[in-house]
Amino acid sequence: MQLTYLEAIRQGIWEEMDRDPSVFCLGEDIGIYGGAFKVTDGFIDRFGPERVIDTPIAESAIVGAAFGASLTGMRPVAEFQFMDFIGCAFNQISNMVAKTHYLWGAPAPLVLRGPSGGYVHGGPFHSQNPEMWFVHNPGVKVICPATPYDAKGLIKSAIRDNNPCIFFEHKYLYRRIKGEVPAEDYVVPIGKANLAREGRDLSIVTYAAMVHTALEAADILSKEGIDLEILDLRTVSPLDREAITQTVKKTNKVIILHEHSRTGGLAGEIAAIINEEAFDDLDGPIVRIAGLDSAIPFSPPQEHHYLPKTEDVVREARRLRAY
Amino acid sequence: MGNKKQKSKANTNGSRSRNGSHARVGAGALARPVERTSKEIHSTTSGVRTYSIPDYRLEHPDFTVRQRVEKDKQGTEHVRYEVEGDLDAPVPPIRDSKYLDKKQCIEIYRWMLLNRKMEVALENLYKQGKVVGGVYFGLGQEACSCASAYALDKDDWFAPMIRNQGSLLVRGFRASDTMMQYMAKADSPTKGRDGTSHFGDIEKRNMVSPISMLGDLIPVLSGVALGARLQGRNLAVMTYIGDGGQSTGVTYEGINFAAVQNLGLVLFVESNLWAYSTPSEMQYRCKDLAERAIGYGIPGVIVDGTDACQVYDAARDAVERAHRGEGPTMIEAKMMRMKGHAIHDAASYVPKPMFDFWKKRDPIARFENYLVKEKKWLTPKENEELIKEVEEIIEAEREIAVNSPMPTPESAEGGVYCEDGCHEIKPKYGMPKVKKGTGGYKETEAAVHLK
Repeated sequence: MQLTYLEAIRQGIWEEMDRDPSVFCLGEDIGIYGGAFKVTDGFIDRFGPERVIDTPIAESAIVGAAFGASLTGMRPVAEFQFMDFIGCAFNQISNMVAKTHYLWGAPAPLVLRGPSGGYVHGGPFHSQNPEMWFVHNPGVKVICPATPYDAKGLIKSAIRDNNPCIFFEHKYLYRRIKGEVPAEDYVVPIGKANLAREGRDLSIVTYAAMVHTALEAADILSKEGIDLEILDLRTVSPLDREAITQTVKKTNKVIILHEHSRTGGLAGEIAAIINEEAFDDLDGPIVRIAGLDSAIPFSPPQEHHYLPKTEDVVREARRLRAY
Repeated sequence: MGNKKQKSKANTNGSRSRNGSHARVGAGALARPVERTSKEIHSTTSGVRTYSIPDYRLEHPDFTVRQRVEKDKQGTEHVRYEVEGDLDAPVPPIRDSKYLDKKQCIEIYRWMLLNRKMEVALENLYKQGKVVGGVYFGLGQEACSCASAYALDKDDWFAPMIRNQGSLLVRGFRASDTMMQYMAKADSPTKGRDGTSHFGDIEKRNMVSPISMLGDLIPVLSGVALGARLQGRNLAVMTYIGDGGQSTGVTYEGINFAAVQNLGLVLFVESNLWAYSTPSEMQYRCKDLAERAIGYGIPGVIVDGTDACQVYDAARDAVERAHRGEGPTMIEAKMMRMKGHAIHDAASYVPKPMFDFWKKRDPIARFENYLVKEKKWLTPKENEELIKEVEEIIEAEREIAVNSPMPTPESAEGGVYCEDGCHEIKPKYGMPKVKKGTGGYKETEAAVHLK
């Protein structure tokens, strides 16, 4: 069936709650209101207020409570109204949740999820892509799906995973894209990238909304005889090193594309992996396309300038092709 | 709207606060929102509300610590703390427990002895160069650590803070566990990966590992109670926070979450007067931290943290409230940290008369006097034998700890994630019994926000 990205996530959580009584949801305004983006719309009527809990506006308490419940063998799914607010719970995630299994051997099967990303004029506190804050926290898994199929399969995997998973939903994609989603139960493995487009000339390594930007660029460039390969990482921690290496070995040229700020961004880490695994295979410089090193501005022309665009990918691909 | 608290200093009859929330709890019960009305609130004709904070202490030390400029012999100015108040007050008696019998009192006394003697052993290990890093002490706070943990039932959960090493012993950890943590040994509960009381056990002893950041355990323990309640159990979840740690924002978030969700949090606020080098006067403005319970809409009580019977009774009342599903309780235990923040800190900033005052209120000496001289539940000979037995245990535990090897360098690796079947995860108290509404799955309408 054809589902929107949002509906796929919603269905995934619904099915997991239906299947497993140890799954429950907590977060701000997720109950009767159904969540700021309606991801949990109707859940409270179906699963009851015991399992769909409206919390105070207290992100550290939400994460702390989810973690505590997970220690008793529950599988909480905590919503951040916007992922920008995950900063309010940073200590709880970084120092409590992420370190637990390594330090004292307690598994913490919880999911922290919510909308992230720009292109909707949300301004500096409702548009961020804070996934890198957590890529640098060993012990949590960081998931950033690009399609309805992956979103549903990965939210199910995250709920079933025995580790803390942070699930970044791209709010630009919520209702803009539709895709085929099977009716039967399935999961998408965490930590495995997907070849979103096969090509021979150069590779774009990217994830989330940028996959669609890269696909648009590929359509434009194909008319010029430039054949892009697009690797959708799907999970940014742990990274699929093998898939990154393979695509570079195949095309010998690579652009890394992400929404968040360039400095200290994921592209630096991927470039280092390529350096370690496929240095001899490179026929040109590793190119980064990323957000500016600033906060993400509010006004549409400014936001447009800040964020990566299809034309950026087209321009950089033409430049890299010439090597 | 004006409001006024009425702290009844004269309230020594042990009458307890009864919060008026009557939420049904347990699996399937709709426990939210918790009723706001409370029998504790009295409105007078003038419209002024009064609240009560039961105070079980038999004395009410009233000091003020402030900063003062002093000149040394050379005339150079230095800022120092000075204390003001009645520092010569006589030591009050131990309050007879409403619940504890002779055997239980002796057991708590024994845990307190183990607590202290373990810390003396740790100090010696430090002086022998066997400890990695520092040592933290709960000197003067043993009654609070041991009698509080003693009030928990087996299935209840707890999480200690750094000065509650006695709680660990009461809950079934061995002294050698803590000693090996301090020595960073391979056989320590964290296999060398963390020190001090930073370890836990979700299988048998129901302990959440503390982290160094203060207040974060409060929402976590609340979440433990939430998880258990979804599985049909009203458990008590006990943790601690200091007069320093309670300044953190997450403390507020955690208590408030437990309050609105009516979870069985038993929070000991250990008012030990000094947060590292900062006196409580510079942490908060209210008279007693228990008053903050009023703002959370939960019961708050004050006990003498050096009186094991008072600590136990308040803890037990709170634990039973939690078991009945009546929600959280805040217990402020008044005492003093009788050493520096850690072993490196001589606490020279503390005015000496404060140490002298609280030394006379040493929780172990007072309880010993109560058991041996007042109650005559222990003969002097039995007491000597008990002390000797505890010392022998600690010596044996010390031997075990010292003889554990250091971990291999490579053991730093692995275990970051739970994988390859290292844990089987299932609800600890049984799969929640869920009922489902008639509402089926329907696609949601278009969002209204940030399209």
